[in-house]
Amino acid sequence: MGTMLSLQKVTKIYPGADHIKAVDDLSFDLEEGEICTFVGPSGCGKSTAMKMINRLISITSGKIFIDGKNIANLNTITLRRKIGYVIQNIGLFPNMTIGENIAIIPKLLGWNKGKIDEKVQSLLEIVNLAPEEFRDRYPRELSGGQQQRVGVARGMAGDPPIMLMDEPFGAIDPINRASLQDEFLKIQTKLKKTIVFVTHDIDEAIKMGDKICLLKAGKLVQFSTPEAILTHPKNEFVSDFVGGDRTLKRLNLFTIKRAMKDNPPVVQETDTIEKANTLFSEWDTSYLISVDSDGLLKGMLKADAIPEGAKTVKAAAQPTRAFLPAHSSLKDGLSEIFTHDYGFLIVVDDAGQVLGWLHTEDIKETLKG
Amino acid sequence: MTSKLLLYWLKKITPIILTVIFIAWLYKFYGAWDYTIKNISEFFTLVFQHFILVIISMAASVSIGLLLGVIMTRKGMEKAATVVMAIVNVWQSVPSLGVIALAYGFLPLIGMSGIGMIPALTALFLHTVAPVVRNTYSGIKGISDDIIEAATGMGMTKQQILFKIEIPNALPVIMGGVRTSTAIIVGTAPLATLIGGGGLGFWIFTGIALVDMGIMMAGAVPVAVIAMLFDYILEWSEKGLVSRGILAEAV
Repeated sequence: MGTMLSLQKVTKIYPGADHIKAVDDLSFDLEEGEICTFVGPSGCGKSTAMKMINRLISITSGKIFIDGKNIANLNTITLRRKIGYVIQNIGLFPNMTIGENIAIIPKLLGWNKGKIDEKVQSLLEIVNLAPEEFRDRYPRELSGGQQQRVGVARGMAGDPPIMLMDEPFGAIDPINRASLQDEFLKIQTKLKKTIVFVTHDIDEAIKMGDKICLLKAGKLVQFSTPEAILTHPKNEFVSDFVGGDRTLKRLNLFTIKRAMKDNPPVVQETDTIEKANTLFSEWDTSYLISVDSDGLLKGMLKADAIPEGAKTVKAAAQPTRAFLPAHSSLKDGLSEIFTHDYGFLIVVDDAGQVLGWLHTEDIKETLKG
Repeated sequence: MTSKLLLYWLKKITPIILTVIFIAWLYKFYGAWDYTIKNISEFFTLVFQHFILVIISMAASVSIGLLLGVIMTRKGMEKAATVVMAIVNVWQSVPSLGVIALAYGFLPLIGMSGIGMIPALTALFLHTVAPVVRNTYSGIKGISDDIIEAATGMGMTKQQILFKIEIPNALPVIMGGVRTSTAIIVGTAPLATLIGGGGLGFWIFTGIALVDMGIMMAGAVPVAVIAMLFDYILEWSEKGLVSRGILAEAV
């Protein structure tokens, strides 16, 4: 892992009488495989800064290096073909099918047909669009969310090491946006692209970014991890911008796994009620998590809701929804704790095996650091 | 389903059949058929001339109109485009006969003959290049900036953007201009004979001058058939050329 993208004292002054610096002396380094979110109020220069990287906007002074090469010395066309580009309004080509849209850059790069077809197929699968169903349709036959998936797939088609994304999910409704963000992060864990992601939404910046580049009037205010921005905002502007609920926002940065406690109060579903009663007093709790012999979550046994005559835990336990997978965010975890009455949340792995349990106290501990 | 389809076709072809029967009856009734048979070699010469008039002026209008329209959309041409579009709009409002007369009167001033096929072609071309220029220009200008930004940002060259993105997406609008041009050319071509340009207009005007409906119809009916033929060809080629992704009716 080395530095993939490096901006050095990059400045943009638009020609005009007042010589306002749209981007002013911007410098930072981005490691390979990192997502850097450019965020700031509108007019802060975040889009301008991004578009200088693929030279859609010329640089007034300063230097940009990609993989150690000064982009000023590269042919703009070659440069842009190595940089995936995804914009807010998607910009799919209406005259081309979804497959043709995605195949554009591979074709321009001169790949052979077999390789292109394979790429289109795999990209459509990656962005969760069934290739047989979507490849031959036209953009206007797709919903906004589907179109943006295609936009992302198209941006990745030439296997670019770097991607620029200009508010890619900005025009999509909140529910679809959240799922697109999640999917994109999942894709990113596999593909490990170096990404510059422009957004005006601080929550999105926190969620998507390994690094956040917070800009104000063209100047870099703070460049750090989301965690550092939330815990140590550099000045009042930053803390105002991230909002008064910045501690709550940090909940999004942690997974349940990080905060949970091991050894939850479990009881085998084949155990007798007598055995369960001893466990109740041993744990000093009124709830036991019922599991099968493989440790898979089966239900919840409530001390005050054991039907008369029930002999085994299996007969007395009730199904429960108070569980989440360990990779969920602490925010979701906290919400689930408050949704159910148990005072804790069962943590499972993807197969449903009980891993631990989570209390509000555990969350507090984690936030304290 | 089948009866619905049958009804659809009946609706579509009944007017055509009726028109054809009516025209055929007129054609025969006024003796146009007999006149044509009697002068069959002249008929073929006139039809040939007519096709030359239509096809050459159309080819010139489309190719030069397309070229001019595209040039006007290029970066740095904004001022020129305003002027050219203004001229194009004014020029289009000059009546066809006026353009023919202008060619007749003006070409001798620059040392060319005002009589014959060349002035006729010049007049037809000058008159019909306007819709192609205008529609090419507005078709390309009408493409959303996002599409062009995406294409540029992805690393397409200006040429690739023009041929793969701009022209294909502007094609329905451009084809609208081509159809307008063709309609004007087909409608104006019979006037070419007034300045010695030949074509089926010769029989039409001869018929009018001699008050002979037969001769007139012998010219007019083939002109109408040629007009319908070109309209059909254009409609058909539009379906073939324009992507299903932007064709209005396609679902």
